[in-house]
Amino acid sequence: MDIGQGLVAIGAGLAVMTGLMTGIGQGYAAGKAVEAVGRNPEAENKIRSMLILGDAIAETCAIYGMLIAFLLIFVF
Amino acid sequence: MHLIPIGTVITVQVEVFSILIIASALMIFFLFANRSLQKADPFEKPKGMVLICTILVGFFEKLTTDNMGAKAAKKYAPYIGALALFMVVSNLSGLLGLAQPTANYSVTLTLALISFILIQRTKIKVNGIKGYLHGFIEPFPPFIVMNFFGTVAPLISMSLRLFGNITSGSIIMTLVYTFTGFLSGFIPVIGGFDFVGVALAPILHAYFDVFAGFIQTYIFIMLTTIFIGNELPQE
Repeated sequence: MDIGQGLVAIGAGLAVMTGLMTGIGQGYAAGKAVEAVGRNPEAENKIRSMLILGDAIAETCAIYGMLIAFLLIFVF
Repeated sequence: MHLIPIGTVITVQVEVFSILIIASALMIFFLFANRSLQKADPFEKPKGMVLICTILVGFFEKLTTDNMGAKAAKKYAPYIGALALFMVVSNLSGLLGLAQPTANYSVTLTLALISFILIQRTKIKVNGIKGYLHGFIEPFPPFIVMNFFGTVAPLISMSLRLFGNITSGSIIMTLVYTFTGFLSGFIPVIGGFDFVGVALAPILHAYFDVFAGFIQTYIFIMLTTIFIGNELPQE
């Protein structure tokens, strides 16, 4: 195993770290959603669908990072 | 990316056959729906195939009307419905053993390119060509770079989001199966077969394939309708 493969592995690990802030952001959004349901229990379905939509859009940062990591591992 | 040779000159990617199979299956479904819809009585409660079609059409019309207004929704609702049905079936086709079409960047780039062209066409139709080009320079000329990136960003992000979710789902499942195959090798007599995988994988399939497939389809059509609805004049 030469140093090139080791560097590829380090690069892949660094790329996946985009998931850090995604976790914080989505947890914050879930907290706000729970708060909103507590204030207005009738709008629960609308709040739930908006939460899921916002989560999946915020998830794209983590998905880009995972994609780069997979590309590094399986192509290089 | 697997290439399959046809004859000796042409090679195609394997997802082409998946698209043909999915399109044929959807066409057969539509033919059956048409036959039962012709025989249906409009005054009694729908059940069976008529009920499925009623729910689907109502869902897509409500979604497009909420985001685009009633006038434009009449023109766009059929395309959104066809796009959503094709995307849902092709995201879930990994469970049936086909090579998923949306796990190939060419397919997702084409679908995002169609949405991109629809958005730009609506913008040009509402503002005219001069208004469209002038829109890049407002509010003052140095903004042209940011407006340019703001126009191209939906194309790249929609295609990469769909591609990344589906492809990484299938790669993660491949890794899980490899790991459970390694674990099953330790069982003494019947170790050749992947018993641990059969017990463990369905839960992960339910998240990575089924849940992600539905959510990504919903997000794609929501973003398309919202972007198009942003360009239309407010009523």
